[in-house]
Amino acid sequence: MLELPIYLDNAATTPVDPRVVDGMIDCLRNVQGNPSSMSHDFGRRARALVERARAQVATAIGARPECIVWTSGATESDNFAIMGAARFHADRGRHIVSAKTEHKAVLDALKQLEREGFAVTYLKPDAGGIVKAEQVAEALRPDTVLVSIMHVNNETGVINDVAAIGRLCRERGVLFHCDAAQSVGKVPVDVTTLNVDLLSLNAHKVHGPKGVGALYVRRTPPLGLRPLLVGGGQEGGLRSGTLATHQIVGMGLTFSLATNEMDRDMARMRAQRDRLWQGIAAVGEVDVNGDVERRAANILNVTFRGVEGESLQFALRRLAVSAGAACSSASEEASYVLRALGRTDQEAQSSLRFSLGRFTTDADIDTAIAEVQREVPRLRQIARRA
Amino acid sequence: MTIYSAQVVEHFDAPRNAGRLATAPDVVEAEAGSRSQGTQFHFSARIAGNALAAVHFEAYGCPHCIAAASWLTQRLRGASVDALERWSWREVAEALAVPAEKRGHLLTLEDAVRRLAAAWRRHG
Repeated sequence: MLELPIYLDNAATTPVDPRVVDGMIDCLRNVQGNPSSMSHDFGRRARALVERARAQVATAIGARPECIVWTSGATESDNFAIMGAARFHADRGRHIVSAKTEHKAVLDALKQLEREGFAVTYLKPDAGGIVKAEQVAEALRPDTVLVSIMHVNNETGVINDVAAIGRLCRERGVLFHCDAAQSVGKVPVDVTTLNVDLLSLNAHKVHGPKGVGALYVRRTPPLGLRPLLVGGGQEGGLRSGTLATHQIVGMGLTFSLATNEMDRDMARMRAQRDRLWQGIAAVGEVDVNGDVERRAANILNVTFRGVEGESLQFALRRLAVSAGAACSSASEEASYVLRALGRTDQEAQSSLRFSLGRFTTDADIDTAIAEVQREVPRLRQIARRA
Repeated sequence: MTIYSAQVVEHFDAPRNAGRLATAPDVVEAEAGSRSQGTQFHFSARIAGNALAAVHFEAYGCPHCIAAASWLTQRLRGASVDALERWSWREVAEALAVPAEKRGHLLTLEDAVRRLAAAWRRHG
């Protein structure tokens, strides 16, 4: 049997925590009702589990449970927040501010709105990947209806000052959406502190199941959101469709664990990431991508100079790491995020993202260091003066 | 992700004749491509009479490039200058099962072989 690689791609997705698996299996085995069927016990039991999970997710982000709307994941949450808010408020204005380093789920939603007649300003981050509140302030126009800036960048782990951007938006009366798909369990998330109106969440980046997410929607005062899905009126009419009870139960458990264990998880991952970096840095001619002072502890994005990107990936095939974002790496194009940070195409292609998770072991880090220290000098030797 | 043939994997993991022969009167050199284009080859070869006694390579590029250059150093050993001039990238494409989208890199490899032949001709 083939030996599986060392998994260091937790920013793409994470293995589901066995405690979450147990809760989901129990739900699949024992809960058969539709959470909307309130006329009998089957439905009421499912509804109780959905509401418990809603409270768990709300607690994890400092929100009230009624502000949580279930979705299929962060992509739907991003689409819903951006298109739903922009279309609802189109009569007030048709300008949106975002950034070049956002996830494709945000950028492609914005492209759709551009086709519908909206104008979008895409801010360029600084060399460290940070989008500053002052940049947002400069980009706001009288007809700006929405700002969408992510919390933790999925490629570099860089953390934007979302609280400052949210405060600015609130002062200026502009809705603020934040993609927090990479945040929960890694950095504190509190919707009040962050001043967000809309916050996209998912479960699978933090050891929960794929296929479930949530959108935080500020309720007071009501912000106005046009649904993407209709037909059933679930979630207060904001998101129709039968609720996937087992997925939702899984997300609730996931967020409880993430909140309770964040400090311990992050302390371990920070130590592992720093040791990984020390080991990688020993080969020389390497650079960290992203502001090293303001980034989540689980992500390390490195450019290896003097090594061709595809050969680098193949030489390190015992490590499951990501070249650019997993969602788009099949295209083999240089990462648009790293290009926005000023990296050349070649540098971006010779960059790898190592991302750690709850189940990353010290032995995994040892293996990763050993592989890099063997393969990178080998490739450089082959390419020595060519 | 690109799928690599067993031959490509074998040559990539254990390349033959990687490096550069020391400069000497019986050694000729040639290169083609550039790092900025993503593919660069350098060959150095020792001439013994009418044949190449040894060929070494350096390569910057994808796994197919490294494997093809490694394979070629073995293939060209004993070759005449005429054989170098006739050599076609199709031979290595077939031997290593290089996919169509990668064959542009092999044209750069062919350029390097042609330049090696030209250097040999100049060497006399």
